Amino acid sequence: MKVSVSVVWGSALLLTAGAVTGLRAQTPTTFIVESPRMGTGRFMPRDYSPDGKNLSPPLTWRGLPEGTRQLAVISQDYGAGRPPPWVHWIIYNIPGTAAGLPEGIPFDPDHPMPTQVAGAVQGNNGWGLPAYRGPAPPVGSVHHYHFSVFALDAELDLPPGLDRSELLEAIEGHVIGQGDMVTLYERQPMNEFAPR
Amino acid sequence: MTDPKGQRPAISRRDLLRAAGAAGAAALIPDTVGAVTPDAMGVVTPDAMGVVTEEAPPAGPPPSNTGEERVGRPLSSGRPLIAGPLTNLTARETEVLGAMVDRLIPTDELGPGALDAGVLRFIDRALSESESDAAEAYRSGLAALDAYSQYTRGGPFVDLSTIDQDSVLIDVQTGAATGAGAGFVGSSGSFFNLVKDHTWQGMFGDPQYGGNVDFAGWDLIDYPGVRLAVSPEDQKNLEANQLQPVRRSAYDLGLFE
Repeated sequence: MKVSVSVVWGSALLLTAGAVTGLRAQTPTTFIVESPRMGTGRFMPRDYSPDGKNLSPPLTWRGLPEGTRQLAVISQDYGAGRPPPWVHWIIYNIPGTAAGLPEGIPFDPDHPMPTQVAGAVQGNNGWGLPAYRGPAPPVGSVHHYHFSVFALDAELDLPPGLDRSELLEAIEGHVIGQGDMVTLYERQPMNEFAPR
Repeated sequence: MTDPKGQRPAISRRDLLRAAGAAGAAALIPDTVGAVTPDAMGVVTPDAMGVVTEEAPPAGPPPSNTGEERVGRPLSSGRPLIAGPLTNLTARETEVLGAMVDRLIPTDELGPGALDAGVLRFIDRALSESESDAAEAYRSGLAALDAYSQYTRGGPFVDLSTIDQDSVLIDVQTGAATGAGAGFVGSSGSFFNLVKDHTWQGMFGDPQYGGNVDFAGWDLIDYPGVRLAVSPEDQKNLEANQLQPVRRSAYDLGLFE
């Protein structure tokens, strides 16, 4: 039952994905985005929040469209930002051969990317930092965090540090597929959560 | 630069300077790095000096005032704190602040960092003088930084690896630590900006104020130094990157007697 709900929710999101990301429709195909540690409609583990270690979460994808040469990922919260969305993470120039992103992508721009995603670079998130910054929403509110993965038909060799709109502009015309995973997070401050 | 605890390479000083929007210069006017609103709550407001002081400081032992206690133990990097006899910060606060400014501008292959440049002494002195209004913000902010480190990374800030310290500082800078219940008064980003501004001032300001020891900050950014006049030849040399820097305090020019 849980799976069905997740699939239905995921499908609905996929139908609206083009609109919410601001990308013009290019009849992209959809594919599956998953994670060994979380999933659509499920709460993110604390390790992927500043309440934990603020590690970037592991992602996997399957069913990429034929002709995928590169991938880009944007993590964003449509319940924050003026105007929304608030961007938590941008990473692109991911080789089309990659099956996902490992946990803990380094926030040091000079540190090499893991081998399987060599060449990938990070864009500037909503704080202007070229790194992952996980969710820390107001206490008592559940926020939704979209992990949108774009399959591109070209190796674009984009420079690091692009913000969301710059990235979307740069990949326009090259998106041949998209997959999304939407996770949840609710903050538990330390006075409500036993310190480790 | 490598994490001394053998993990991933740490962020280089140049990266941190860049990431935090360093403009360099010897100005004593604090900049206001404008972070923006995250998560609808962890609002990082562009603050000036004044972070909130209306709340009581977190519970804990009262500040110590004995000089011996202020020396503190060495940093996690193994280097001793260069603090000298401080008048405001307690031993524990000196340790935590020392570890923080050591990550903002670490000593590395580019030269001395904030600790070696006397930034701790600069801040401590400023808290007794021109920045006395910020003393309580330091007290609560440093305690909150330690509590947040303990909660999220499982140990006090000074005991974390440099990678985890940088990661915690990113959380604090971006306001993520605000709602964690660690005790930040106002936005954690305001506290970060307060310390960052003072660190920049202590590193790049005039040595008269206690920081920028041996002109370490000016050397780091190739500041040509305080001059009363710049001749055409000086200008030419500057553009050719051949101008000999002047290393003296503006107060040595006799203009402030």
